Amino acid sequence: MSRLSGGLIDRDTPLNFHFNGRSYQGYAGDTLASALIANGVRLVGRSFKYHRPRGIFTAGSEEPNALVTLREGARAEPNTRATMTELFDGLVARSQNHIGSLEHDLLAVNDLLSPFLAAGFYYKTFMWPRAFWEKLYEPAIRRAAGLGALSMEPDPDAYDKGFLHCDLLVIGGGAAGLAAALTAGRAGARVILADEDSRFGGRLLAESDTLNGAPAVDWVAAVCAELDQMPNVRLMSRTTVFGAYDHGIYGAVERVADHLPTPGACVRQTLWRITARRTVLAAGATERHIPFADNDRPGIMLAGAMRAYANRWAVSPVPAGDKVAIFTNGDDGHRTALDLIAKGVRVSHVIDTRTDAPRFGDYDLLSGATVTGSRGRKGLRAIRVAQDGRETWHIVGALAVAGGWNPNVHLASHHRGRPVWDESALAFLPHNPPMGMVPAGACVGKGGTAEALADGMRAACAALAELDFSAKPISLPEAQNASAAQAPYWHVPGTRRAWVDFQNDVTVKDIALAHKENMRSVEHLKRWTTLGMATDQGKTSNVSALAVMAEITGATIPETGTTIFRPPYTGVALSVLGGGDTGEHFRPKRLTPTHGWAKAQGAEFVEVGPWMRAQYFSRDGETHWRQSVDREVLAVRRDVGLCDVTTLGKIDVQGTDAGEFLNRVYANMMGTLKVGMVRYGLMLREDGHLFDDGTCARLAEDHYVVTSTTANAGAVYRNMEFARQCLWPDLDVQLISTTDAWAQIAVAGPKSRALLQRIVDGFDLSNEAFPFMACAELTICKGLRARLFRISFSGELAYEVAVPARYGQALMARLMEAGADLGVTPYGTEALGVLRTEKGHAAGAELNGQTTAQMLGLGRMVSAKKDSIGAIMSRREGLAQDRRRLVGLKSCTPEVQIPAGAHLFTKGATQSLKTDQGWVTSACYSPHVGGYIALGFVENGDRRMGEILTAANPLEGQSFEVEVTSAHFVDPEGGRLRD
Amino acid sequence: MTDLTPITALGAAKPAEVSHGSLTLTERPDIGLASLALRKGVTCPEGLPAAGEATDRVFWIGPGQWMIEGPGQADSDFAAQVKGDFPGCSVTEQTDGFSVVEVHSHDGAAAIEALLAKLVNIDPVALAPGCAHRTALHHMTVFVIRRADDQIAIIGMRGYAGALWHAVDLAARRLES
Repeated sequence: MSRLSGGLIDRDTPLNFHFNGRSYQGYAGDTLASALIANGVRLVGRSFKYHRPRGIFTAGSEEPNALVTLREGARAEPNTRATMTELFDGLVARSQNHIGSLEHDLLAVNDLLSPFLAAGFYYKTFMWPRAFWEKLYEPAIRRAAGLGALSMEPDPDAYDKGFLHCDLLVIGGGAAGLAAALTAGRAGARVILADEDSRFGGRLLAESDTLNGAPAVDWVAAVCAELDQMPNVRLMSRTTVFGAYDHGIYGAVERVADHLPTPGACVRQTLWRITARRTVLAAGATERHIPFADNDRPGIMLAGAMRAYANRWAVSPVPAGDKVAIFTNGDDGHRTALDLIAKGVRVSHVIDTRTDAPRFGDYDLLSGATVTGSRGRKGLRAIRVAQDGRETWHIVGALAVAGGWNPNVHLASHHRGRPVWDESALAFLPHNPPMGMVPAGACVGKGGTAEALADGMRAACAALAELDFSAKPISLPEAQNASAAQAPYWHVPGTRRAWVDFQNDVTVKDIALAHKENMRSVEHLKRWTTLGMATDQGKTSNVSALAVMAEITGATIPETGTTIFRPPYTGVALSVLGGGDTGEHFRPKRLTPTHGWAKAQGAEFVEVGPWMRAQYFSRDGETHWRQSVDREVLAVRRDVGLCDVTTLGKIDVQGTDAGEFLNRVYANMMGTLKVGMVRYGLMLREDGHLFDDGTCARLAEDHYVVTSTTANAGAVYRNMEFARQCLWPDLDVQLISTTDAWAQIAVAGPKSRALLQRIVDGFDLSNEAFPFMACAELTICKGLRARLFRISFSGELAYEVAVPARYGQALMARLMEAGADLGVTPYGTEALGVLRTEKGHAAGAELNGQTTAQMLGLGRMVSAKKDSIGAIMSRREGLAQDRRRLVGLKSCTPEVQIPAGAHLFTKGATQSLKTDQGWVTSACYSPHVGGYIALGFVENGDRRMGEILTAANPLEGQSFEVEVTSAHFVDPEGGRLRD
Repeated sequence: MTDLTPITALGAAKPAEVSHGSLTLTERPDIGLASLALRKGVTCPEGLPAAGEATDRVFWIGPGQWMIEGPGQADSDFAAQVKGDFPGCSVTEQTDGFSVVEVHSHDGAAAIEALLAKLVNIDPVALAPGCAHRTALHHMTVFVIRRADDQIAIIGMRGYAGALWHAVDLAARRLES
């Protein structure tokens, strides 16, 4: 153990955990990373490509190396950052990306092959044989160069989502964020303070600075306590704001239960969409390193991280007695030396690249010196230091590297605001942040404690001033600004590999190679080398890489530029992005009024958009769905069948101009429809193609009920509303959907009248009193309000009866009961489809957006006596001359199925696009015909009756002979539905 | 009176009710609903709420459109009654077009607002008592009415009643845990 004194861990709460099968102990307040360091575990993973031994490099969400698979079984989560994993009792983690043990990874041979595995090697190799790439090369490369693996089991945890609103969202709970939140909270603004850490404080938790002469954590605790008492402030720790979206909306993930062994009754994570009137971005900064030869060994870490481990988690990177060195290009590295010394850690040297490096304490300072190499295969043992032309080896157990700090400009750049280079800060600073966002603190280069506090307060005041809050300055604690002086020193030149991006194994040499290959733009550099990709998105490497590229090209860093910043800031689980709705509740289901009844009858259901419709009703002894469907079809043709058709869209149209309005939205005339009658209607798109079909019933002079297809119910209503509000606002017409309000049941078949006669309350259903296409409002079943329509989709004598939806199920049961002696049979959508295909009625397959009224043989329905949407365009040459027509098709071998979608060719002709004669739209087995039939569009189809065509399915290499027939396989004269 | 027996939107004989912590969810199939739309040239009757607002019995659903509520009148011809109350207007029966879920908090506004935060993207400040909004909830269209500090009504399409109840029930249950 290498525990130090102090820290923010709870030594009274020891926690046991396992890493790679070995048991260890840490304390509450530890992260997995700090606990591993405390237990002397330095080797925690293998690098992406070369399988180099890797250790913990950072203390935050920017970690590129210490990625582990956390938990076991279905909860195993790969690529979890040990630095962000709060330790809990019983935690189990294992390392990734190795074959064999972590210590003896067989794939470490890749490191020896590194000369052949330079950046972009796979773009130039593995080119032959071509088929091998997908089947052999790529799988092998992915196996060798990967991160963790998924459990392949369903995620057992629950996820949630929600919406929050505030006046001021403060992103980041460090010095600047806390000052901003306190300022705004006291001003009475509704504040949300979000931080990805488990506790607020940011770098105040990691530094030894004092506030008001006391430990900074005291001030943090007092501020948090005050904020917690404010009803207008919401504190959200463990919450990462990962993206800035439009209109002040931010995406955030709250890790509700990730710090627990299992979530229990809680959700694991919650996705929050936060709508903020203003935002203070106080996201802090990420330290960068200085690439040098062999700089990737376990034991080499960022200086700020080493300081955080010592101060916050009370762990030393080396066992007591071993030495630590610091490599820095500025004063910040010296802070690490001072803090380590204060904690009793032996510091061998501070190696400062500056020749005039200042001394801040009692340690060996090597000015104008660099680290030029390291030793220690599985952990750092020694470093080579160059000074004044001499190189010497020093035995050290750990090396802290301080290369300066990169402001976390990510969220400020999510709306394409390109950060600008600040030469004095040697960093990119936010520029053109999203509207309403005010960056503050270390993320604008003001990382000193005093200046961060002041800047946070300033930002809150500025943001709130725009909202007319009179935010007053708060009393800030007495604080210091540590010196941030540094020299622009970006990497140590050398011949050996010096890593820039640890996660993707990208070295300075790789960047040089990209330059040679003319991949000089930052975007090309990124894609060619993979620099800045994967889980860390290059947080510790991007700016260093730009600096190296700038040096090679001779351009400045701002001239070299940055890549685009996009959400998410850190990785977000797809489960939480999905909002938590899975399985049965993946999307809302819309149930018909008779759903429960149908379910009790053993119906199979089919999704029709959001609706669940009964597809067919199996009966005992039926072993195949076709048996059920054939039986249902024959029952309708012979006796009477019942089908829930509630799903068809119903739109109530009222107003003195309702008729005129419908004349304009329908291609055919509706204004002349008599009260008490129904008319079939066609709607066209603006371009003249068919849009939808349905019926239009006139209940009163100023009252119609329009039906649409199920699929287009929403679209038809939307288009009609658009026409009402935008095209003809002067018309007196009112629209509203009533689809759900009425349960509608089709009663179809020669005995339908007899059945209905048994439930209507003295209503005359005779052909004379209630002819084909009549409609009426009436009562049934002793006084229940109902609507009756004599319309037929099946071609048989048929009606549709509508009742308030709550009575739909009872009506269905009553009809079944009343019609038992008539052979009444429920039928589903499959039988519905067969019945309408046999009758030649068009449905969605025929109204597919590419067809016209003429093609359906309904060209004369597009009235020339009036104008309507799409009418003029339907007469344009390209459409008017189309000679494809809807026909029926009969399989020449009745038992052979005609595939829907097959293309039709003249028999014996070559099969190509040029010779294409049309296509099959709908196909089914017709128990009425006794064979397979279909509908389709055929060139001059109405003139080719009796011709034998070839229906080709080239994808399957199939050809079938079909005979062109009338589309009306049943009762072509239409006598049945008029009887 | 018809001899057919109605069922609720959730498919049961009786309305659903469940409590989670301080929240009680109640299905209200007894409320009669009728939509009301102004015709051209008709003066807007007095007492109809403005955009985004609701009264005890009426909530705004669109420009020149309202929904009239009739508690306990679902089994009557409520639309006909409304038509009589608002002559010259277009009235459409909507009683069974929707499923009404009322949520009551026994612990003040906080629980209601926590529930709203899990369901709809509406700032609770903008949904004060007397406000009504049409919004999206779990991919469904709903009306949300703040009846009181401690009470809301969520009105969704009847076909989606099961999905709506599931969403509200789950959110309330999670708040309890």
